[in-house]
Amino acid sequence: MTPSFDDFVAEQVTPLLRYATVLTCDPHLAQDVVQEVLLRAQQKWDRIGSVDLPHAYVKRMVTNEYLSWRRRRAAKDVALCMTTLESVTPPVGDKTHHYDEREAMLQRIAKLPRKQRAAVVLRYYENYEDSEIAQMLGCAEGTVRSHISRALATLRLDHTPEPAGVGLRLGEGLS
Amino acid sequence: MNDTEQLVKDALGKLAERTPHPGPTLNALRRKRKRHRNVFMIATAGVAAVAVLIFAGVIASDRYSPPSGSDAAAALNTDNGQTVALKYAPHWLPDGFVENFRGTNDQVSRVWVPAGDKGYPFTDGKPTVVLGTSAELPDTTGWDSVTVRGLKAWVRSGAGQSPGETAHVVWKAQDVLNVEVRGVGDVRGVALQVAESVRFDTKLRHQPPFKIDGRFADHVWGATASAWEAMTNWKNQVSVHVSPQQPELSGQTQPIKVRGKDGFRTGNTVSVLDAGVWIWASAESYSDTVLEAVNKVELVSSPDTSWIGKKL
Repeated sequence: MTPSFDDFVAEQVTPLLRYATVLTCDPHLAQDVVQEVLLRAQQKWDRIGSVDLPHAYVKRMVTNEYLSWRRRRAAKDVALCMTTLESVTPPVGDKTHHYDEREAMLQRIAKLPRKQRAAVVLRYYENYEDSEIAQMLGCAEGTVRSHISRALATLRLDHTPEPAGVGLRLGEGLS
Repeated sequence: MNDTEQLVKDALGKLAERTPHPGPTLNALRRKRKRHRNVFMIATAGVAAVAVLIFAGVIASDRYSPPSGSDAAAALNTDNGQTVALKYAPHWLPDGFVENFRGTNDQVSRVWVPAGDKGYPFTDGKPTVVLGTSAELPDTTGWDSVTVRGLKAWVRSGAGQSPGETAHVVWKAQDVLNVEVRGVGDVRGVALQVAESVRFDTKLRHQPPFKIDGRFADHVWGATASAWEAMTNWKNQVSVHVSPQQPELSGQTQPIKVRGKDGFRTGNTVSVLDAGVWIWASAESYSDTVLEAVNKVELVSSPDTSWIGKKL
């Protein structure tokens, strides 16, 4: 049975926003992208609602919207702005990490070219296989592997070891 | 997964916690849909027809065409009920902890213990880290209020049923989650750190080694991927087990035909070796139900036990 558009939105708006936030590294842009996509999905709901997995289809729309949004605005990478992020959700004080490597990594991820970033998000956040990422991005699996390989090379290259004595995690437990 | 990849995964998980509240998006969507309807009313009245056309051209254009059913299905994993969704995973544990136990069906529990520890049934007070889901939040009166990834949470520590101090953290994400830690220094700090690292993962799934009456084995545990045991309680009467290791049973043994093979009845237990694993069932008193339970066990052809004894 085709779910109603309102039911779909009620169930999927948070997962879509979460995915868009990770994809765009910008909660405000994520809101804009998800709004645009849902407006369009609503207009085509008779068709979209009748496919096997409407949420997978709409998620793909979010990916495409993000990629084309950036093309349309053509200007620059939407760099990760921690002030912006923190104004939306204030960070929780991290009592155990004097220096948080994750924040530094987020800033590096935000600077990746858009397709590389999308591929990285789909691989490491959504845990998609190469074939699934290729389908989502509309490219060959080899291209996906290339995107991810280049992204990781950049992220490794940009990784500057933190000052001695401040970067150790409590218990050194990350394995 | 190397250090960079782990850090990327960790960073993206942290970023996901900054997802904005859906309220503004839903409100904006409502406003735009209302405005959209108004524009059509104006257009019908013949006012600003050109503007409406532009609006329709820009806003209503859609470059997406629905995919075929098979395309959409391929976009996500579907398993026709062959596995159980675990949904949540910690991304930090104290050093040296390995996964030892998974409990599923009504709620999910996962337990990690130091490599080499016996683990299940966890009655020895040795170090453990538990991540589980609950049907609802417990009564948190007297617990300390904290935050976990920006969400309201509660923590308490003290003596539990097992020896040693135990810390509990509970919070509500998409489900009610709880982390329980004991047997380590600063149980409270470790519990909070584990809780902070927990993330939702739609692809995290678990395949218990057998089903009975359509229900998977509730508990699976072990020391290694090849030394494991799975158990469920059938009809609240019969304890049903499957393991590659032969059960240690004492008492007089009689041959019995079960699952079309030569099995054994030892006291109130019926056991048989089938497809390379031992299947056995026990009850407080012997009845045909015990035999029926063994006959009803549906083995999974290639159960996933690779998680046993593994670190994150």
